[in-house]
Amino acid sequence: MKVAYKHLLNKILSKPSIEEISEKLLQLGHEHEIENNIFDIEFTPNRGDCLSIKGILRDLSLFYEIDTNNEKYEHQIDTFELDFENKAKDACPEITFLKIELEDTKITNYQGSLKDYFDDLNNNKINFFTDISNYISYETGQPTHCYDARKINNKITLENISGNFSFETLQDKKIDLYGRNLVFKCDGEIINLAGIIGNKNTSCSSLTDSVIVECAYFNPEEIIGKSVKYDINSEAAYKFERNVDQKCHIDVLNRFLKITSDHSKIRKVEIFTKCYKNYENIIIPLNINEISNKIGIKLSSKDSINYLEKLGFLISNKNLLVPSYRTDIKNQNDLSEEIARAIGYDNLPTKKTNIANKFSKIVKNNFEYKIKSLLIDNGFNEVINNPFVEKSNNESIKVDNPLDSNRTYMRTTLKDSLINNLLYNERRQKDSVKLFEISDVYSSSKTISSKKVLGIIASGRVGKNYENFSKKIDHKYLTSILKIYLKQENLSCDKIDRNSLDTKLKTQISYLELELNNIDQSIVEYKERSKPPKSIKKYKPVSDFPSSIRDLSFSITDYSKSQILEELILNYNHELLKEVYIFDFYVNNKSHEIKVGYRFIFQSDKKTIIDSEVEFVINDIISKALDIQSITLPGLLK
Amino acid sequence: MPDSKKISAPELVNNFGTHHPINQMKDTIMDLLLHLGFEIIEGPEIETEKFNFDMLNIKKSHPARQMHDTFYVNKKTHLLRTHTSPVQIRGMLKNKPPLAFISGGKVYRKDDDATHLPMFHQIEGIYVDKDVSFANLKGLIFEIIESLFGENTEIRFRPSYFPFTEPSAEVDILSEKGKWLEILGCGIINPIVLENCKIDSTIYSGLAFGLGVERIAMLKYGVNDIREFYKSNLDFLSQFK
Repeated sequence: MKVAYKHLLNKILSKPSIEEISEKLLQLGHEHEIENNIFDIEFTPNRGDCLSIKGILRDLSLFYEIDTNNEKYEHQIDTFELDFENKAKDACPEITFLKIELEDTKITNYQGSLKDYFDDLNNNKINFFTDISNYISYETGQPTHCYDARKINNKITLENISGNFSFETLQDKKIDLYGRNLVFKCDGEIINLAGIIGNKNTSCSSLTDSVIVECAYFNPEEIIGKSVKYDINSEAAYKFERNVDQKCHIDVLNRFLKITSDHSKIRKVEIFTKCYKNYENIIIPLNINEISNKIGIKLSSKDSINYLEKLGFLISNKNLLVPSYRTDIKNQNDLSEEIARAIGYDNLPTKKTNIANKFSKIVKNNFEYKIKSLLIDNGFNEVINNPFVEKSNNESIKVDNPLDSNRTYMRTTLKDSLINNLLYNERRQKDSVKLFEISDVYSSSKTISSKKVLGIIASGRVGKNYENFSKKIDHKYLTSILKIYLKQENLSCDKIDRNSLDTKLKTQISYLELELNNIDQSIVEYKERSKPPKSIKKYKPVSDFPSSIRDLSFSITDYSKSQILEELILNYNHELLKEVYIFDFYVNNKSHEIKVGYRFIFQSDKKTIIDSEVEFVINDIISKALDIQSITLPGLLK
Repeated sequence: MPDSKKISAPELVNNFGTHHPINQMKDTIMDLLLHLGFEIIEGPEIETEKFNFDMLNIKKSHPARQMHDTFYVNKKTHLLRTHTSPVQIRGMLKNKPPLAFISGGKVYRKDDDATHLPMFHQIEGIYVDKDVSFANLKGLIFEIIESLFGENTEIRFRPSYFPFTEPSAEVDILSEKGKWLEILGCGIINPIVLENCKIDSTIYSGLAFGLGVERIAMLKYGVNDIREFYKSNLDFLSQFK
């Protein structure tokens, strides 16, 4: 909610700075941002009572003396009998209609708080009565709806309807109502989607000189979700969903009249009010000891009562009468929060909690961790995928409200997710992709069932060292890793058909999936070789530019120079050189020669790398390498 | 002539893979909480409204229950849990206080942008005993945050709203850039929730806290876009070895 600092300041006698009010709002739990002296406050869903100037000031009265006097309409208001029938009394237990006739509709300039509302918040004007209605909602928190009285010629009903109906909002949006809806009707036409938005045919215009203002209390459950259902931006719905003050109607309509009379001469005003179910006061016993225990601080009765009275609670005979706008307050815990907010959470004490002394130490079950370690030691990377997929089978669980049609079902296997992960990395020029995921998967036949599964996928080279570089991943490689820990001997490994995939590569894709239940508990004894890092390393953004690969194969006749070459190359630094490793090592004792192959991977963080940049670095490496005695680069053109 | 005895093959580099950074962070936090005395409990990701909402005092009118916030499945008979709190409910129903549980895992909400994902990870803890107060909660939260972010971390508590806790708070830490960052939500377990779990709220009280693993991982690793964690990009994952 956007609130001008100036509008709060008008009512706070001590005139605090914007920074001070900001600090107090934060202490009260009203998170906000400030821009150009406007607070943009995000109230928690339980604090619908704060969605107005009046509501915010009620909370700030914990810290400041507030001017609560608003100018009132002082003239007599007659009652009248409106032809109205409420067929949904549970949904709307209290409602008031105000009929106003103006002498003149030519209102040129707004004055006072109405003017400030539009000027300071840069709000758009619509028409006189709608503008007042919007302002009153801002000032008091109570939404009202204005009908052009000359367009209402028959009985109005409030009722719940079911079925499909067309409805055109006063914002010219045509919507198809479906399901159950609470509506106002007149002459068989839906004139208002109750608590959300009125229709076009009965809305006010700049020519409206006679208006019926509807001021109602709607049960939040009748309103909730409707504005989202019909994609309507409705501030009224936002407030009704979060609960408004059932007892505020007369004050609100009085302010409506006062603002109206400040701008135009009123010819006639009449009021019609109906209460079908009285508001039930909330009374809570005040138990300072219990509140003290909940907060963990010794509270004085005097201070506690002072806080609560400032917030509008009435105290009588150790009982608290909760103000009608605070329907969120029901028990001692709620009162504890009120007092804790008043003191400030950061000013409350801390106390050590000795949980460890009360419970025996439970050893973490590391079965799953050991399976992961076994795979990680063999070069596999753990991935996590979301469970939504496009394809289904007989046992798939359907998502009733998916994000989109590609994510309509819950996966029953990890296979498709892992294939996508593998192809993604292959497209990023990875020639050795080894991935695994452990996740619950769900299925439904008669009942919903779940199982925890391990999915492993791999393709390309077994590894990036001179022993594994030329070995290709196949199903034997995959099964060999887990074989000794399997409960059942036959482990089926899928060979994924690349023809059905969006790829031109030919290397075999091997996939294996098994329930964790099929892995023997003896894996807990597995001693992992790799360990997660002990300290946190800051992540470097990944380059999306293509990489470039160069291989160099050196011949070394003086074996002692092999290590010197290795140190030179593996320690060579250049911003474009992302990775280097030995992919080949061979000793030919007959010819007294070592052959060693190095792979260099170049990539820029800023652009697509060009050949001349790579050659520049490679030539420097070659030059330095050939300076070492007995090292040659067979095939090098001089 | 070279001396064959001097041949030493290059070190055979182990190309280890890596634990997913989110699971690394989750394990780190769970280990910390285990050390503080909590027990791990687990529960299903596909839940019922009863455990995900009703038992937690989340009323029918609460916005979180709407179709635009929660994934419903199987003709609305079930839903994907929106938090790990239903696991705590199951834990409280099965056990008598005093009890101290943590649960961690995937949760689902109907969001999808640079800062929100439809699936993310949460860790929640509860401690129910006699005389558990907001002061205990603050003490515990200080201990957790100082273990995760260092002893000199500046922390602030803000009032907030969760239907299952009252009073409720959100906790921020001050970043190196001088900006307050929300880290976790916590509160005193609402007595209605304790009674729903057949725990006498006139004798016992409890504290609860929950934190988003991705949020903490993003802060600790310096990752700005949450989606990076779930691209399964080997160039990304290999940085967390």
